[in-house]
Amino acid sequence: MKRALLSLAAVIAVIAVAGLTIGCAQADPNTKAENQGTLAVVMPSDARSLDPHATNDQPSARVMKQIYDTLMYQTADLEVIPGLAESYEVVSETEFVFNLRQGVKFHNGEELTASDVKFTFDRMRSEGAPAAFLFAALDEVEVVDDYTVRMTLNFAFGPFVTHLGHTAASILNETAVRAAGEDYGRNPVGTGPFRFTEWRSGDRITLDRFEDHYRGPAASERVVFRFIAEDANRAIALETGEADIVYDVGPNDFEELAALDTVTAFQTQGLTTFYMGFNMNKEPFDDVRVRRAINYALNVEQATDVAFEGFATAARGPLAPMVQFARGDLPGYGYDPDRARELLAEAGYANGFSTSMWTNDNPVRVMYAEIFQEQLAAVGITASIEIMEFAPYLDRTAQGEHDMFMLGWVAVTGDADYGMYSLFHSSQFGDAGNRTFYRNEELDELLDVGKADPDPAAREAAYYRAQEIVFEDAPWVFLAFRDDLNATRSYVEGFQPHAAGHHILYQVRNN
Amino acid sequence: MKTETDNLQPGQVEEPLDHLESSTEEHELRLPDKGSARRSQRAEVWRRLRKNKMAMIGLFIVVLIILTAVFADYIAPYSYRTQHLERRQEGPSGDFWLGTDDLGRDIFSRIVYGSRVSLQVGFVAVSIAVMLGGTLGALAGYYGSHLDNWIMRFMDVILAIPSILLAIAIVSSFGGGLVNVMVAVGVSNIPIYARIVKASVISIKEQEYIEAARAVGAGDARIIFKHILPNSLAPIIVQGTLGVATAILSAAGLSFIGLGIEPPTPEWGAMLSAGRHIIRRAPHVTTFPGLAIMITIFALNLLGDGLRDALDPRLKQ
Amino acid sequence: MHKYILRRLFLLIPVMLGVSFVVFTIMFFTPGDPVRVMLGERAPEAEIEAMRERMGLNEPFVVQFGSFVFNAARGDLGRSLVTRRPVFDELYARFPATLQLAAAGVLVAVLMGIPIGIVSATKQYSLFDGMSMALALVGVSMPNFWQGMMMILLFSIVLGVLPSSGYGTFMHLILPALTIGTSSAAIITRMTRSSMLEVVRQDYIRTARAKGLSERVVINQHALKNALIPIVTVIGLQFGYLLGGAVLTETIFSWPGVGRFMVDAIRQRDYPVVQGGVLLLALTFSVVNLLVDILYAYIDPRIKAQYK
Repeated sequence: MKRALLSLAAVIAVIAVAGLTIGCAQADPNTKAENQGTLAVVMPSDARSLDPHATNDQPSARVMKQIYDTLMYQTADLEVIPGLAESYEVVSETEFVFNLRQGVKFHNGEELTASDVKFTFDRMRSEGAPAAFLFAALDEVEVVDDYTVRMTLNFAFGPFVTHLGHTAASILNETAVRAAGEDYGRNPVGTGPFRFTEWRSGDRITLDRFEDHYRGPAASERVVFRFIAEDANRAIALETGEADIVYDVGPNDFEELAALDTVTAFQTQGLTTFYMGFNMNKEPFDDVRVRRAINYALNVEQATDVAFEGFATAARGPLAPMVQFARGDLPGYGYDPDRARELLAEAGYANGFSTSMWTNDNPVRVMYAEIFQEQLAAVGITASIEIMEFAPYLDRTAQGEHDMFMLGWVAVTGDADYGMYSLFHSSQFGDAGNRTFYRNEELDELLDVGKADPDPAAREAAYYRAQEIVFEDAPWVFLAFRDDLNATRSYVEGFQPHAAGHHILYQVRNN
Repeated sequence: MKTETDNLQPGQVEEPLDHLESSTEEHELRLPDKGSARRSQRAEVWRRLRKNKMAMIGLFIVVLIILTAVFADYIAPYSYRTQHLERRQEGPSGDFWLGTDDLGRDIFSRIVYGSRVSLQVGFVAVSIAVMLGGTLGALAGYYGSHLDNWIMRFMDVILAIPSILLAIAIVSSFGGGLVNVMVAVGVSNIPIYARIVKASVISIKEQEYIEAARAVGAGDARIIFKHILPNSLAPIIVQGTLGVATAILSAAGLSFIGLGIEPPTPEWGAMLSAGRHIIRRAPHVTTFPGLAIMITIFALNLLGDGLRDALDPRLKQ
Repeated sequence: MHKYILRRLFLLIPVMLGVSFVVFTIMFFTPGDPVRVMLGERAPEAEIEAMRERMGLNEPFVVQFGSFVFNAARGDLGRSLVTRRPVFDELYARFPATLQLAAAGVLVAVLMGIPIGIVSATKQYSLFDGMSMALALVGVSMPNFWQGMMMILLFSIVLGVLPSSGYGTFMHLILPALTIGTSSAAIITRMTRSSMLEVVRQDYIRTARAKGLSERVVINQHALKNALIPIVTVIGLQFGYLLGGAVLTETIFSWPGVGRFMVDAIRQRDYPVVQGGVLLLALTFSVVNLLVDILYAYIDPRIKAQYK
């Protein structure tokens, strides 16, 4: 029976050795305390790929922003200034010539030339990149000489130059892309201030300073992105000094963090609009009186305060204040249940009706739904809540199976076209973005003008009126413009949140 | 000695019973077989159970929870959906005995109403598992050979898939909601009951009275349902009691990752999950629903242990 | 014995086929378009269609399943729809974290469970026995995601002594390991106790006592060794279970393991990852079970005889 003891010892030993050696091999504390010059950044989720043509998600963009540069450069305040293109010339409404900066080095030592630019945009379209729609207007990219590129468009497109500042338009190195083949997403090469070093799936991505960056070396030697999904845990990581910078601080943690001496907290306006849309193909939401009634029936201000803990502004129109041409002077519906009942009665629903509110399993949206459920009940509308996972949610709302649904929209480029066209133009039904199936011919024309007209004054006038129409037709209940909440340890210098969420770490350092 | 492993893991449904296949069969069941003896046996079991203090505590708590569920309307001071938006995330007080949640709803009332949901999920999920698993097990045990082989290999397949992942996949596929959660949790627990029933069927089917029934011309179905299944009840009751506990835990786990039951239904796991982003500021929102789950599971485990000892005194020390 | 092992190994093939089939079927009929998830909500319909075609998602069920099995048999699990990396690489990158957590959990369970179980058994019906049995029951009754949060509350927020999430150092391992190990510890405690009690009742122990050997010698030299047989089995089984059951614990502690990855994959409709991952977990689980059985037979010759 000694065998039994031996076996027990063996089992334990095998398990312990298997587990712990792996653990030790991977142990590598990268916290600031031991490692000056390293920025520890914590965000909610892992990147999907570092190939800008493979994905269009925020976590990936946040990392790619440090690795790549773009022809135009979008500053933290959304100003578009020259980037890799030193200057550009508008030849006509549909023709642009870009003059590239000379002596820009890629991380693999090659110099940036016009052929890389052409390669980048050709590949974007041949790969079917998720963000290729941003460049739907682009017809052709021509190499004029090593440092000159000509871009011609299929049709006049006002925001074209702005879109060139999007991370999706990051300039790639042809040699590196070809060498890495299918694995490019894990072997990215750019011209940005940091070069890719290591990626431990689900845990961290490490970038190191690229000494030959054209604007001069970055302020920090190393950036480590780590991923912590739980709001509370991210806050704790900052509090304990495990993280130097935390992205997307939970609204519930923000005040506590801001109160600490060791923490600098940033509350900034973002580009996201939250809304609850009606399915205008369905009764009773085809009646504008019903849509307005629901707008009156809901105490959006209160619900927003609750859902975002006060870190959001109740919306009165479709565009977030930071977005170009956003109107701050729309009156909003306000909370007026009596008016709601009147309108419902006028529309023939004096006794209310039964309907459903759809949302995905985003806790903030679920909270809105729960609050609205009670407020709708007060005016006689019985609304059930259906929670779905994101994938079927997008599918089924695109098919028009819903009654009312909650979604958000990020106008990433800060441009009014991005902020309105897909959501309200009648050519964009379903998947493209118009899930309310809203159609208004005057609005369509205005949005077309805004898209194509190169004259800012004409665009402004068009969007000015367009927002008014949307407000009056009420295809949505306008919910909120969320503030972006980020925080750093107080010794971190140079951090300025980017309105689109992919913060620039070039000049950030910890002391 | 080897016979001990089978009953030792209360509430741990994921336990693979695989290696026991050869050994469980001779063991699981030793009940008097005649129907007439059943009544006096029941009295005997109850007598033994009553002597077990821990089991009685468990039974007491379980009964208390059932009564809470039945009389929730009279016990809860508020409705489970009434929001007090101006009094959110408040700690326990005279107005709200266990504080309020994120939307200012009374946590105590929601826990009280939540007992309905949890008990329903637990019992229905186990019933599904028992019915499907029991039928498959009975078929396998009674007919043996190829059918047995097919069924048990299929059970191996389900056992090999981590049950929480299987449940998540099923809920993803069919959508959330009370019914689907119960089905998902039920299905992932089928193999345990199939094994138990199969083992009992095998041990019973060669007994004299079954032979006798067959001799007087009873059909297979009649023999299975009338004679064999009733005699497999003891281990099913024991495992079922523990299974309700596991089912409640699994459903809470599903809700926890956002795949559970639709709001404003007060499911304990969902309540707990809704509190996790405010755990720093308002830990009570997470603490109390968790305690409710724990006490329920604890009581079911006590009762299950006691039942096992009472039904199979040989195992009791 | 060898024959038995071979037979069991052979039986793994149909079981793994079955696992693939079940998972494949569930995912096939799950609503939500993976390509839509992959390309984003703004991608035009034509592009989506082209991508579906390219990835073979428009093929009929049988063809898709067939090619999955064919490729899997050659070790090719396909590419993730989300990251576009080989599924094998994705799983390989995360498996060590899962293994490490499971191992640490079992270690916690053994270090707590066996000593407490032994003492409980030797002092049956004592206060210690009662307390530890009650605690063990509490251990199996706690939802482990809740326990994890309570430990974060205590150790990370109130006391501030342990990190609440992340991966890499020993400190990061402590809370997740305790969380995942608790219910196993409880099970092993109960198992050890009852196994010891059973053994103590055996004739040869009575004989030993009758011979006047000290209680310590009786327990250490005779009872313990025999009682360990079933315990070893349970430890192995718990290890297998923890490998696949750490989904929620991994989520709470942002642990970069396979479990959390699988949940994300199911929700993002990343079918190749779901299929590959479940296959990996099922295979690990089955192999661990087989090893436990072999070990069991090795320790206890009577069982070995049965397998012949």
